[in-house]
Amino acid sequence: MAGRSRSPLAHALAREVGLVLVSVLLAAAVLLYVGIYLASQQRLPGSCELITTVNNTLPLIFAALAQALVVMTRGLDLSVGGMVDLTNALAAQYLGATPAHALAVAAGILLIGAVLGFLNGALVAWGRLQPILVTLATLSIFQGLAIWVLPQPGGSVPEFFSRWLANTTWPVGLLYTLAAALFWLAFRRTPLCIAVLAIGNDENAAAAHGISPVRTKLAAYTLGGTFSALAGLFLAATATAGDATTGNGYTLTSIVAVVLGGISLFGGRGSALGAILGAYVTTMIVNILFFAHIDPLYQAFYEGLFLVIAVVLAEGVGRLIRGRRAA
Amino acid sequence: MIRLSETARRALYAFLAALLLFGLGEWVRPGFIAPASVSAILTVAVFVGLVAAGQTFVILIGGIDLSVPWVLNAAAILLATSSLGENGRALSALALTLAMGLGVGLLNGIGIAFLGVPAVVMTLAMNGIMEGLTLGFSGGMTCEACASYAPPSIQSLAHGSWLGLPAALWLWLGVTLVVSFVLGATVFGRVTYAIGVNARASALAGVRVRAVTIGLYALSGFFAALAGVMLVGFGGQASLGMGEPFLFQSIAAVVIGGASILGGRGHYVGTVAGSIALVTLMSVLLAMNMPEFGRSIIYGVIILVLLLLYGREKGEA
Repeated sequence: MAGRSRSPLAHALAREVGLVLVSVLLAAAVLLYVGIYLASQQRLPGSCELITTVNNTLPLIFAALAQALVVMTRGLDLSVGGMVDLTNALAAQYLGATPAHALAVAAGILLIGAVLGFLNGALVAWGRLQPILVTLATLSIFQGLAIWVLPQPGGSVPEFFSRWLANTTWPVGLLYTLAAALFWLAFRRTPLCIAVLAIGNDENAAAAHGISPVRTKLAAYTLGGTFSALAGLFLAATATAGDATTGNGYTLTSIVAVVLGGISLFGGRGSALGAILGAYVTTMIVNILFFAHIDPLYQAFYEGLFLVIAVVLAEGVGRLIRGRRAA
Repeated sequence: MIRLSETARRALYAFLAALLLFGLGEWVRPGFIAPASVSAILTVAVFVGLVAAGQTFVILIGGIDLSVPWVLNAAAILLATSSLGENGRALSALALTLAMGLGVGLLNGIGIAFLGVPAVVMTLAMNGIMEGLTLGFSGGMTCEACASYAPPSIQSLAHGSWLGLPAALWLWLGVTLVVSFVLGATVFGRVTYAIGVNARASALAGVRVRAVTIGLYALSGFFAALAGVMLVGFGGQASLGMGEPFLFQSIAAVVIGGASILGGRGHYVGTVAGSIALVTLMSVLLAMNMPEFGRSIIYGVIILVLLLLYGREKGEA
């Protein structure tokens, strides 16, 4: 076929095939959503729908970033939901009434997220344990702590805090999305990111080239924990109250977003931009199901189904392209 | 001197831990080791042990089954709604329910073995699929048949006793014998261990790795459904979320029982000991009036400690 003499554009397309696919998927989902919306509401979705969609997606964007960092090291973090639970409960309980106080507490919550992530990383890297089992155990611990912090749903999130993070009149959420994307574009050029992808590809080879798997994993999980805490803060701001169990679902949906975003579950490949777009696709799927009058009780069914389909397609397309490159 | 293998020694530790916990329970609350109390604890251990049987099968090949919570829940609801609480329909409802579990497990296996989906992701997705289907079909447990009780025959299977022992324990004894026989003395069992040690070498040696993998996940689905049947028989009615605790508990039972989570080593007898130790611990914590969040934290810590003792990957730091 195209062989070795491919144009630079074709080469870039092949390298970023995951990103291209998820962009096409998002465009298709948006078109389908607009179509169904138009059919059922007799008007086009406006800025209100845009703001709601962006605000609802933000917690998932940061949960997906957290998941992406761990997946890139060839791990999987089942405790993302527990970390979102715990930080969300802390936010609802302790943010307080004044902006200065809330800012200090929010910073403290991010720090706690970093500590939780570091704990996961330490057990995986120093303990040489399987990420799945470590994070299954810490999930149980974090969920328990979350209920300890906030036994009943409630607490309070100050109004200004919701205005900052989940403004309902201006789409500031787009700025946060942009910030998340810019973070990745900057992070991608750091030695840490290169180390993360290298140990995800082949831990022994990376170690032979002087990359420390222990330090890299510690950093990746710590950063992941911080992002999960950010997801917990955004969730609290969107919901304007806390609940020690609403975060549970983010374990599944963060994996869905990461897989839709073309990040390989076998580590070492992918772009967090894909995870951000994947998060939007996940929200659009929920929107489409809603306006297509599909019973929300079936939501988990569709999420699970799309996860399987996405993994199979991603592997299939990846194999096809790698096969062509090898030929 | 008798030298025990690593896994046999761990199984023995789990039994000793269970005995110790019974002693601790008696100390916390006198009467803890009265026959009625012990029999109640062991009956609860049966539910964990049944789910953990399936989990043992897939963990032996280095896999995992995260779909057990909603397979179990769907099975419990399916049994109640399809039997409508009538003895006459009990047998067909039982067959339908177990076939459902087997079928879901089969799909898990096909996704993992043929579509190349990682086991964690396939079974996590399947858990979501079963959750959505269960909630959707039952209308969030608002359906007319959803209030049905389990047929009396199924209830007596969970509650009744035979020769002075609860019927559920006899069932568990039978399952233990069959599972141990299958793993220890059949080709299927030997092949399971071989795949767990080295899947590629097994394939090169002519083992049909994919078929065995599918069979193991099907068995896991079957046992989750069987646990669902026993649980609805025990409680009388099904409810939403009744399967949630069993994911963590089934994996914990396998880990406590000493099977290697990397595959290739472990016995169901160990898992049985792990189930009993875990449920006894739960009962002791309950006797100490430990709130749910505290128990959740303690379980997580115990699993981490055991993983650090047992589950470390060999090789470079």
